[in-house]
Parts: sequence; C-alpha cells; structure tokens
Amino acid sequence: MDYTNKLHIIYGDAALGVQTKKFQYIFSYEKGGLESLKINNKEWLYRIPTPTFWRATTDNDRGNGFSVKAAQWLGADMFNQCSKIHLTVDDQKFDPLPIAPFNNQFSNHEYANLVKISFDYKTTTTPATICTITYVIDSSGRATIKMRYIGREGLPSLPVLGMRFIMPTMATGFEYYGLSSETYPDRKAGAKKGVFRVKGLPVTKYLVPQENGMHMDTDKLIITRNTSLNNADRDTNDFQLEINKTDKPLNFSCLPYTAEELENATHIEELPLARRTVLVIAGKVRGVGGIDSWGTDVEEKYRIDSSKNFEFSFKLS
Amino acid sequence: MKANIRWLDDPETFRINQIAAHSDHLYFKNYEEWEQKRSSFIQSLDGKWQFKFSNNPQTRPFDFYKTNFDASDFDFIPVPSEIELNNYAQNQYINTLYPWEGKIFRRPAYSLGQKTDRSFSEGEDNTVGSYIKHFDLDNSFQGKHVHVFFEGVERAMFVWLNGHFIGYGEDSFTPSEFDLTPYLKEKNNILAVQVFKHSTASFLEDQDMFRFSGIFRSVKLLAFPETHLMDLALKPTITNDYHDGIFNAKLSFTGTKDGYVRLKIKDINGQTLLDEEHNLTSTITIENKLLENIHLWDNHHPYLYQLFIEVQDSNKNLIELDSYKFGFREIKITDDKVVLLNGKRLIINGVNRHEWNMNSGRTITKQDMKADIQTFKRNNINAVRTCHYPNQIPWYYLCDQNGIYVMAENNLESHGTWQKMGEVEPSYNVPGSLAKWRNVVIDRARSNYETLKNHTSILFWSLGNESYAGENLIAMNQFYKSHDDTRLTHYEGVVHTPDLKNKISDLESYMYLPPKEAEKYLKNNPSKPFLECEYMHDMGNSDGGMKSYIKLIDEYPQYLGGFIWDFIDQALLTYDPISGKKVLRYGGDFDDRHSDYEFSGDGLMFADRTEKPAMQEVKYYYGLHK
Repeated sequence: MDYTNKLHIIYGDAALGVQTKKFQYIFSYEKGGLESLKINNKEWLYRIPTPTFWRATTDNDRGNGFSVKAAQWLGADMFNQCSKIHLTVDDQKFDPLPIAPFNNQFSNHEYANLVKISFDYKTTTTPATICTITYVIDSSGRATIKMRYIGREGLPSLPVLGMRFIMPTMATGFEYYGLSSETYPDRKAGAKKGVFRVKGLPVTKYLVPQENGMHMDTDKLIITRNTSLNNADRDTNDFQLEINKTDKPLNFSCLPYTAEELENATHIEELPLARRTVLVIAGKVRGVGGIDSWGTDVEEKYRIDSSKNFEFSFKLS
Repeated sequence: MKANIRWLDDPETFRINQIAAHSDHLYFKNYEEWEQKRSSFIQSLDGKWQFKFSNNPQTRPFDFYKTNFDASDFDFIPVPSEIELNNYAQNQYINTLYPWEGKIFRRPAYSLGQKTDRSFSEGEDNTVGSYIKHFDLDNSFQGKHVHVFFEGVERAMFVWLNGHFIGYGEDSFTPSEFDLTPYLKEKNNILAVQVFKHSTASFLEDQDMFRFSGIFRSVKLLAFPETHLMDLALKPTITNDYHDGIFNAKLSFTGTKDGYVRLKIKDINGQTLLDEEHNLTSTITIENKLLENIHLWDNHHPYLYQLFIEVQDSNKNLIELDSYKFGFREIKITDDKVVLLNGKRLIINGVNRHEWNMNSGRTITKQDMKADIQTFKRNNINAVRTCHYPNQIPWYYLCDQNGIYVMAENNLESHGTWQKMGEVEPSYNVPGSLAKWRNVVIDRARSNYETLKNHTSILFWSLGNESYAGENLIAMNQFYKSHDDTRLTHYEGVVHTPDLKNKISDLESYMYLPPKEAEKYLKNNPSKPFLECEYMHDMGNSDGGMKSYIKLIDEYPQYLGGFIWDFIDQALLTYDPISGKKVLRYGGDFDDRHSDYEFSGDGLMFADRTEKPAMQEVKYYYGLHK
C-alpha cells in the first residue's frame, strides 16, 4: 500500500489510524490523544502525551513561595481532560468525528496526503483554560506537533509550559545539538553550543530532588532505546526517535521521572526504580533564580506569564 | 592552678596558660630538612587516642587526667576527627538559631542585666570528650623546650600532662598552644584533654553548619632549639610606581639568644636579593630594605620570594632554619572609593568556603584543599572568604602560592542573639557593647591576625559574620587598624547599625542585596567600595540571573564584586539500610531537631566535590573580568 506514497488512514470505531511503512499512529478518541507512535515497528509511547505545567519545585521556588502560589498547576499537570477533538483529513473536516456507524462507509483502502488532528485539554485550574495539541502528519508520515496555550487572567505564573511524553522503557541515552550541561533561561550564558551525547538518563544529584536536566535552545534531539515492552520482540538493537526544531529552537529534559515523582522525594535514593523515559518538550521554561533562597523571585523576564497566549511546535522524524 | 569547670560559664575566661598567638612560619633544623619539608622539631600526635564520651559534664570522668587513672574502659578515637561522626553524639545541622532551641532556655551571661549561671558547666546538652594520649618524645626532642599545638578543637578544652593542669582554651578555629616543658618526661607522657561541646563561646560560634565537637584538627608537639624564632612579622611594601619593593620585618626570639641571625631573600631562580647578618637579641628589626625591580604578586602571577632566617649559635653553627614565602602586593582605596590591587582595579570573583568533607565533616585533608584550589583555578574563581572562621593553616599557604585573594574571617557569628524568625531583635545580642564580652572577641581578632599576618594572599580582615554591631565590633576593627595598615577591614553586620559605619569596615558590604538595590547605592555617591560578601545563593538548582550582578562591574568602578554562597554542599555520606547504598544526608536526617534541613546544601559543588551544572555559568561570568 505504501507504493501510493500516501498516508494509509484507518477510520476505526474509537481511534484513527495513520500509517506509512515507517510510521504508525493511533489517535484514541477515548483517551483523548496520541495513544501509539510506532516507528519501524517500535512503540514510543506508554501513555498519551499531555500538556505539562509543573516542574519539580527548586529550593528557590519553595523558598520564595512560588510552589504555594503556583500549586494549582500541579493538579493541572497530573489530571487533565480532553474536551474536544478536531479532525481534518486532506480537505475534509470531520465534525462530528468519524466513529461508528458513520465510519462504516470507509474501507481498508483509504489514503490521504495530510492529517491534522487536535485535542483540546481543559485545565483543572480556576479559572480553567484550554491547551490544544495539534498533530499534523504529512504524506511522508512525519508529524509536526504544535501546542497552543490560551492565556487567562487570574492564573498564577506557570512553572513550565510544555508537552510530556512518557516512553515505555528507559532510554540508553540521548544526543542533542544544543547547549552544554543543564541550562535555564537565566543560566545559559556559560554554555557552549554543540553536539552532546548523554549516557543513560542522569538525574542531577541535588540534595533534595528537584527540577533538573533542562536543555535550552536545542535544534535536534535523538533518543536511543534498545528495549521494549513487546513480549514478542527479541531485538536488542538500538532504535531511535528524532525530534527537530521547527521555526524556533526547542527546550527539553529527558529523565526517568515525572515532575511529580521528583517532587515527592526528599532524597535521591527515594526516587522509584528508573524504568521509563520522560521527555518534556518545553515551549517556555521558568528561570531558576539565585539571588537568594528565601524570598526573592526569579527575575521577571524569566517568569512565565499565564495571561498571555503562547504556542510552540516541533517535528518528529 | 587547678582546672575550674565554671570557666565554661564565664565569657571573660577563654584562655588560661596559652602561648600568645604568633606567626605560622615553618622552621627546620637545616636546609636538608627544609628541602624534604620535614622538620625534626615537629612530632605529630595525630592517630589513635584513648577516648571516653560523656553525655553531660556531671557524668564525665573527673580523675581521668591522673597518672594512676585506670582507663581500661576507654575506647579509641582517631585524632583529628569529629566526635559526632564517630557516632558518639547526634549530628545536628542548624543555621540561625542555637542548637539548644526548644530544649534549654539560655541567655548569654551579662546580657539583659544577668550574671553568669551554670548553664554550660551543668548543661544537659554539653557533651564531653575525654581524651588520653600516651607518648614518648622523639630523640630529637630530648632536653628541649616543648609546646603542644592544637590546631583546632571545638569548643572548649582543658589540658593536663602527667597529672598536672596545663591550660584551658576556647576559639575552635585558631591554634591553642601550651608549654609542656615543666612536666615533660622522655618516655610515657600522658596527655589528657577534656573537650566540652558548649561554653559561652557557643554564643559566638553560631555558624550555619553542622554542629560538631572534638579535636578536629591536627595536634603536634613543637620542640625548640636553644634559640627559637617565635614570631615573624613581615611587611613588604611597594614603591617607585610599582617597580621596587621595600622589605620590613620584625623577628622575635625566645631561648638563650646567644649567637647570630642571618637573613636571606631569594627570588624564584635562587638569586639572592638580600643577605645580612645580625647579632641575636630578643627582637631584631629589619628596616626599609630596598629591593629593586621586583615582581608583583597577584592572581595571575602569584610571585613569591623565599625568605630564609638562619639562627646560629655563638660558633655560627646553624641551629634553626626558618622559612617563609612572601609576595609584594598593595591594596588600597582611591579617593573615588575604588579598590586597587597593585594600582589596578581589583575585581573579586569569589566564593565563600566552609571547610567540608562528606565523610569527615570539618576534618579536611590537604588533598581536599588542593582539589578546591584546582576547582578555583579551572573556573576563574579568584577569591575566597573563609566563612566564618579561620581555616586550617595550609589553606593560606596554598592561596599564597596560587594567587587566591583571601578574606580572612574571624571565628565569630552570633546571629541567634539578634535575628529571630527573620526579624532584627538584638535584645540579648553578644558581643554587642557588653564590656565582659570585649576581650574574648579582641582575642579572636588577635589570634587570627597574629597567626596569619604574613600571608600575602590575605587582602581583607573580616571581623566575623552576622553578629550585629556595637562597641565590641568597633574595638575589633580598631585592633586590625592599629596592627595592620596593609590590608582592609570588612564587616557586613554594621548595616543594621548604620551610625557605626564610619567606625567599622572599610567596605560597604551586603549580603544577597538584589542588583537593583546595589545599583542604588552605587549610583548615589558611594562613601565606600561596595561588596556582596554573600550572593548568588547556590542552594539546589540555582545560580540564575548572575548577569545582573556582573554587569554592575562594568557600570560602577566602586563595585568590588562578591563572594558566591557557597562553595560546597554540607552533606554527610551515610549508609542507608533501605537501599543498601551510601547516600548523602542533610540537616534533619539524623532526627536532629530543631534543624534547618536542606539549607545545609548551598554549594557550587556537590558534597562529593563534583561540580554542579551551575559551575559553567560561574566560570563564564567570572571569566569576563579575570
């Protein structure tokens, strides 16, 4: 079927399948997001990617009261609800979604050049706002992912604004073209630009586990794994996911833990056994600050204003 | 004289029979020993000592210093080490408040109109370490005058030799030296030391750190030949537009003082610049010797000259060789309130450094010190504040050799007596202006000065940290001013009593003042050079926004720079039975209450001496004004 050089579309009863020889996507209407991303037959997702709003608070965040002020973003980070799905295949806009019995009209031979599917996530904050994640898949099978945040007055400043991908197994490492070491918007002047290879998923060993491992201004990221959860897969060769910037460089952290897991530990040895890969692609990163640890906030230009609209995008290949 | 435990309660009693503080020059028998860096006049007493721990003064062994005492139930403890890290007593980390917070009600003697009480001599929290060391004298020590030299003991100690009371000392971070000669034997001497965790000195030693006790720095015996150079005071200055040096020195001798003294200065190529002989007298003064075309000392070129002092007997036989390496440098403040080193603007790219090792606490090794110097050099750190106490002596030598600018701080911090829950509340502040607390803090200033005065690297004397200010801080400032016109004084705590600013500190010093506030001072016709003695608080994932400080350097010549808080996390490597691993623990992890928990970890370095990611930022910004 790939001789067509088009996307093979499977109009399922509860999900939309989009396939090329290399890429296979399953967008779940039930889960409200991208349930499966397979590249060369290897699964890259453990749970659907979601917006992420929380970072494990730093000592400085706690000291200046930011963690208290921003607390509702922790709930919004952990719990979310998909409120609306928008689907366009080539020029056809589906509203309502093409589920049974409407999809009975399709066959196993449906092809298209472009699929665009968006998920609106309503935050659990007061007031609530909407974050939309849009996947645009072109005929090569590559996805451009865009997240749009709708600013709302009355919300606290954001700890982070990004997307979180949880992968089924732990990466053996990652390589990126960006800045050396761990960087933040207010702490990156000393970094050098280059290609860096990181072995495993190191957690910076701050005495109290906290936000760590951010990499600002990245053009390209390649994550390597060699294990899967597929019981029938005996292959132990490396396989990779490549993420590229679109119009602007991206910021990311790649760790074995979620922000909540880090937040919950008082010492590094209390962190759970590392078993997955948690990739955060951050459109906006809050600075770490440093004037003191008992009151002074991060400098204003390094805070994230929640009242303003914001969008960012990146590309999978 | 007999030992009296009530000295613990009395701020006026802090040294009994101690040798007056003197310079830390090295001395040898001859050039061969100097080359081998091993002096036969020094006998180390480090190693295993017999030890008995007591929970409080009431249960301490009273007669343990007697020669017929049966010490068979004593344990062994390594000297130097911290008693707590041998698991006799609980580890506790606390920052501002006193370690007895919520457990014992205490006020400093003579504050609030009270007299002394028995708060320490009968203190339930006052743990006691009783140490016994048996030793024979080295052959080279026979028949000589012998002193015992404790480089650091927290926090008050009584010393006996062969059953005789020798002396008493406080001030945990400067040497305590006593004469043992009258009671010394060739073989089987019994040195007994009783160390108390608390005394009135505890009010003066409220540093933000793990609260340990014990003989935590080295102990050695010093033997003196018939004539010995007891004190050396060097004063190298610069003249002729930074081309030539003027050398001044004062040499003070003990002993028979028959014979001659030959004094030589050599450059690093071994070229002799000065060579002169004097008849031995108690004091020899070398005045205004002009040395032409000298190399100046600074961070980039820490050029040191070698001084030798040969002490000779009346037959001109060498009996003692004294050695010091010194440099020529000049620090001054211009009329525009700019600090100059050797005529050029000085920029402090500094860190505050506690002495720390994750295994042994404040008992650190020369390897630790050398590693720290390497870290400084690698990351463009050019200055250190010895927060908040004098460091081990070898550290200052390393700073001389490596061009690290030192702010040499006194062992003084009393913030628990004036700062409560973030508010300034000095109702029972010590030392304040209390007359009974004056001599003890002057003594600390004197010990710091006399011991370290010859170190080229020291540019600033710091009166202490966060101790508020009153007459006693003024007196400390005056002490330095009257003894040393080649360095500047520093004290931050006077910000709370601005009326005293003209009497305390050559620098306008703040801690953690935001860049915009610092700029306000700098813009407004500053009356002193401005320093951030602590800034960029590096707790956890921090050090963001450093640019806002560094750009002040370009904009305001009166901005001297600052010392980052701080260099290394104070955390302890501890076995975790749950994970089966060795893990790093911080305040509160030892059931220690009251605690300030993870505030112990504010370093640019993790406790295992690896760099935090923030270090690349420090290296960059400190590299902009090298």
